[in-house]
Amino acid sequence: MNDNGCIHLNNFKAAKGTNPYKIVHAFFVSCTSFEARRYKATSCLCFTCGQPGPRMHSCLHCIYFACYGGHIQEHSKSKKHFLYVDLSYGNIFCGQCQDYIYDRELTEIAMAHKLKQAKSLGISMPFMPWLPNSNEAMALRRLRKRRLISVHTTIGLRGLQNLGSTCFMNCIVQTLIHTPLLRDYFLGEKHKCKAQGSSKCLVCEVSKLFQEFYSGAKTPLTLHRLLHLIWTHARHLAGYEQQDAHEFFIATLDVLHRHCMNGVEGNVEKPENGRCNCIIDQIFTGGLQSDVVCTSCSGVSTTIDPFWDISLDVAGPGSLQACLERFTRAEHLGSAAKIKCSNCRAYRESTKQLTLETLPIVASFHLKRFEHSSQIDRKISAFVSFPAELDMTPFMSSHRRAVDVGVDNNNAPEGLFEDNRYSLFAVVNHLGSLDAGHYTAYVRQMKGNWFKCDDHMITRASLREVLDSEGYLLFYHKTVLEYDCEVS
Amino acid sequence: MVNMTVNNTIAHQRLILSGDRERFKELLRRRLIECGWRDQVRVLCRDAVKENESSNVTFDGLVSKVTPRARALVPDTVKKELLQKIKTHLLTQKEP
Ligand SMILES: [Zn+2]
Ligand SMILES: [Zn+2]
Ligand SMILES: [Zn+2]
Ligand SMILES: [Zn+2]
Ligand SMILES: [Zn+2]
Ligand SMILES: [Zn+2]
Repeated sequence: MNDNGCIHLNNFKAAKGTNPYKIVHAFFVSCTSFEARRYKATSCLCFTCGQPGPRMHSCLHCIYFACYGGHIQEHSKSKKHFLYVDLSYGNIFCGQCQDYIYDRELTEIAMAHKLKQAKSLGISMPFMPWLPNSNEAMALRRLRKRRLISVHTTIGLRGLQNLGSTCFMNCIVQTLIHTPLLRDYFLGEKHKCKAQGSSKCLVCEVSKLFQEFYSGAKTPLTLHRLLHLIWTHARHLAGYEQQDAHEFFIATLDVLHRHCMNGVEGNVEKPENGRCNCIIDQIFTGGLQSDVVCTSCSGVSTTIDPFWDISLDVAGPGSLQACLERFTRAEHLGSAAKIKCSNCRAYRESTKQLTLETLPIVASFHLKRFEHSSQIDRKISAFVSFPAELDMTPFMSSHRRAVDVGVDNNNAPEGLFEDNRYSLFAVVNHLGSLDAGHYTAYVRQMKGNWFKCDDHMITRASLREVLDSEGYLLFYHKTVLEYDCEVS
Repeated sequence: MVNMTVNNTIAHQRLILSGDRERFKELLRRRLIECGWRDQVRVLCRDAVKENESSNVTFDGLVSKVTPRARALVPDTVKKELLQKIKTHLLTQKEP
């Protein structure tokens, strides 16, 4: 696209500068203030026919509003005012060139106004498609090899050797490799390691692993080094005997988070208001709210704790939603578990309710199928159904509050963009008994293609097969991601 | 009939004033991107440009060619969601 405008616009800019465009744009295209919205609401009607359209334009020379149904053209011809601005999109029409024209400088002004408007309305930054910067454009010209990724691609799929009974590790690695946002982070080479070349950083090791998975090679990989690194940093997991995949998942996130933070990651990841901002926490951390209500004085004490996953009881409910419903239900703590109320200054009976204050980008659910007690260790093989698409809204703190006071907040304009939809992208299964079991995983590759990962074997699977399986760990990815509104 | 138009204009102005018109527009934009509509329309435009490679393609030419098909491609679920949300919003608005 040519973004050098046209000779007519260039002459206009030389005579009057960019101010006329700036004013029209800030007041009538992207309103950057309440005052601007008042002007726009009351005056954006065609001066000739009084209608609000079709396609309102403003003359750039004299700020005459007229519709594109002929009246702006009439004005343009009779006054010889050839440039006019489309009030919906901000593009400039040149009556002499007889088409819309694009000018880089004015486009930048428009973009700045758009961001300002979004901010003033509390909307996150509008989506902007990726455009290569000059470095990237140069790299693209230099590296001529292209690979077209089709919808049916199998790139990114690789089996993993079992090193004894390390299937618990293999299925967690498969899950991490197929976590969309984590993949984007690593394939975008975002981990800048201070300890470069050292073999001690687990984040670097995972980075290498992503390269291996996406190299196009098909032979199964052996994860000696990765396993060794995790053993070194999470001593309690060391040993070749079968481990719990859930425990391994949490330990891996913990080591990754520590290595991101260890100063290895530089100052990009410094903690912000006490919360870690490393890639692991950005993707996996949510906030769990606990409200304890005193039954005597109704005083509420609220705490919020970060979480990486949610462990759910499976005895009883038959679906993930039912498990979550029970998890977030108010629970009477009874006379045996009195809690000191700061209001009453005495031990009182109370009710406790857990809700989700903030949601992570990846929601991980652990179905507690293994029961360990002093008498017996057993596995609960009950079927728990789980959906491919999950809306987390009913389990949010804000939603529960709204339900309690009897209003539904979902239709308020502030709640318009609240989007808590998630899509299933990985499931870890445990087959067999407690002591002679085997782990496998289902992962989603591109949208809608599922594969079963059984150590070195990768086979195609159907969504039905995934949903019918006995899930142990369930991984959901946020369906729609928000953009950070960062105005530079 | 006349009254109807006046009411519509007032509703329209009120939506602009509160910024809600922009909010609904943004929601619509997001839904259209999400469901792949924008990519479909992009393909329609590319095809239209290719067809007329010899002649100069103008914005108006492109709009008149692509609009009918692009309109028909908007999924019913998107229309329904927007209609429902705007309706509920207007009904819960207090008179200023
Ligand atoms: Zn004029
Ligand atoms: Zn008119
Ligand atoms: Zn021109
Ligand atoms: Zn590193
Ligand atoms: Zn962290
Ligand atoms: Zn109390």
